[in-house]
Amino acid sequence: MHHGFVLDDQEFNVELSRAREGYRLHFEGQVIPLSLRAGDDGGQILTVRGHSEPVRVAVDGDWLHVHLAGSTYTLRYQHPLDRLAAGHQDGAADHIVAPMPGSIVAVLVRAGDAVVRGQSLLVMESMKMETTITAPRDGVVDAVHFDKGQSFDRDTLLLDLVAEPRP
Amino acid sequence: MRTDTQSWPFRSVLVANRGEIAVRILCTVRALGLEGIVVYHAVDAATPAVKLADRAIEIHGDTPVAAYLDGARIIAAALATGAGAIHPGYGFLAENAAFARAVAKAGLIFVGPTPDAIDLMGDKITARAFVARSGFPVAPSAIEDEDPATFVERARDVGAPLLIKPAAGGGGKGMHIVRDLSQLETAIARARSEGQRYFGDGRLYAERYVENPRHIEVQVLGDAHGNVVHLHERECSVQRRFQKIVEEAPSPALSPGLRQTICETAAGIARSAGYRNAGTVEFVYGDGGFYFLEMNTRLQVEHPVTESTTGFDLVREQLRIAAGEALGYAQTEIPSRGHAFEFRIYAEDPARGFTPTTGPVLELCEPVGAGIRIDSGIATGQAITAAFDPMLAKLIVHGRDRAEAIERADRALADYVLLGCKTNIAFLRRLLRHPAFLAGEIHTGFLDMHPQIAAEPQPEAAVMERLLAAAALFTRPMRDAADAVPDLHAAMGAWRN
Repeated sequence: MHHGFVLDDQEFNVELSRAREGYRLHFEGQVIPLSLRAGDDGGQILTVRGHSEPVRVAVDGDWLHVHLAGSTYTLRYQHPLDRLAAGHQDGAADHIVAPMPGSIVAVLVRAGDAVVRGQSLLVMESMKMETTITAPRDGVVDAVHFDKGQSFDRDTLLLDLVAEPRP
Repeated sequence: MRTDTQSWPFRSVLVANRGEIAVRILCTVRALGLEGIVVYHAVDAATPAVKLADRAIEIHGDTPVAAYLDGARIIAAALATGAGAIHPGYGFLAENAAFARAVAKAGLIFVGPTPDAIDLMGDKITARAFVARSGFPVAPSAIEDEDPATFVERARDVGAPLLIKPAAGGGGKGMHIVRDLSQLETAIARARSEGQRYFGDGRLYAERYVENPRHIEVQVLGDAHGNVVHLHERECSVQRRFQKIVEEAPSPALSPGLRQTICETAAGIARSAGYRNAGTVEFVYGDGGFYFLEMNTRLQVEHPVTESTTGFDLVREQLRIAAGEALGYAQTEIPSRGHAFEFRIYAEDPARGFTPTTGPVLELCEPVGAGIRIDSGIATGQAITAAFDPMLAKLIVHGRDRAEAIERADRALADYVLLGCKTNIAFLRRLLRHPAFLAGEIHTGFLDMHPQIAAEPQPEAAVMERLLAAAALFTRPMRDAADAVPDLHAAMGAWRN
């Protein structure tokens, strides 16, 4: 199993190992020499294949924010064990998550309601606009996690949909 | 210019706002030797505005936004602290005539226009009618209030494309473009629902929509003695969802003659209204003509662009006018030097439809250099939440000409480090390098016409390698795993972070 990073929904497998000087990155069949040292301004100097440049990195749990070559990138670290576990999720339930931060304008369904694909479930408001969240497929509403007026961050679980009602 | 505040009717100013604009106003208030007071909700306790203020008063509300909208409590805070004047900034209470009246009734000075001027310009329908009556150009339109029963019919008669707007609206809220008249009634229903919810007012109007127009606006100042001047124009055509992203002065679109005509029209509208304090007259410009869009009766977000090209401190001018001073300069004494831009730094993801982003500010390092100004309201350690507007800061650049200003902006954006919350900084760099932007060929549909600017390109292979290298070196489990199996030939301990 490899360690991985996700950038914009794309996965990259990498390994890191020690070298005589610094480290080596194993990426796409290549072995790339690396080193890192402290810079003058509180940042770090990264050297890759002999090319040195300033880099700033902030770590927040599994998220890494990297400023390099005039741009900022956000990557998510995937531990080998987590990646193994992720492969075994069943696809029977749909978890409707918030596509963006916002607040609930209207809740159109209740737990237990049968819904058809495309049916409106929730109306949310974000960026001064209303967005209707619709059912991705036929199913039964298992739980609605937010009431009208409540606000949430992006990727917050708003509603659960199941294929069959709970016994 | 030195300003003597000794004779002013107020010695301290309460800023009823937050973020970058609270910082901006406090800087001038304190530079004038006045006491700067700010109100804040608990979520903003660690922000730069609260640190900078001589005194900070906590206010409460059901939501953080509600606290900043609670005019009665803010006035009470001003009275309790002995503040003589209230500066509302922009947004929140800035264009609330009832608040301006309540401030005056409490014996305080409102740093802004008269409540009557706010009323006149705040209702788009009365504003438009006033401007037309005064002999200035407006677009063909249908106003619901004139005869609600025939509104849909009259809107249809204006013809597509149409823009449906709430009468009480602002900031692009509730606006809908109708290109196909079969969609007219749906758009009206939506605009009404949004107008009702945002402004408590479902009245609408429809006006001819100029496809791909430019947004040109003119900064004006008026004093209590009847003097009105303009401080030239700004072009704010690069927008998303009717909200500005980049503003510049002068406009690359106007000939000297047209420029003078638009600026004089704006000053004329302000003069007709007996306008006092700082205001902005907005125009739609396209197909060689221009017409009145609206007047914003407050300091604008993009006011630093004008400050850069004229050398005026607009907040100081606002305070001088509020103190009863005369402008003291003629139109011909207001210069326009070089070229300036403002780039708004938003917590949002352009590649995902400009949706807002949230997160902690883990590391912040703002660019410095010749011609670079940063107006920022954030600090390291602060959490960016969805509670407020996603604008975090503004980069203002000035250069001898447009090309130099763009070059300086590109370097400044490359050096702008804000880690922890996704921003639009990389997008702004892609935008300013776009050939059409470089050529000044911008309009309000610019980003829809060039959607590739919003798309996040994958880094080139060499950068990708360096990015993964940095990520791997800063990931504890990877460093630990690597260190646990030392290279047979590695010189142990010779390398350290």
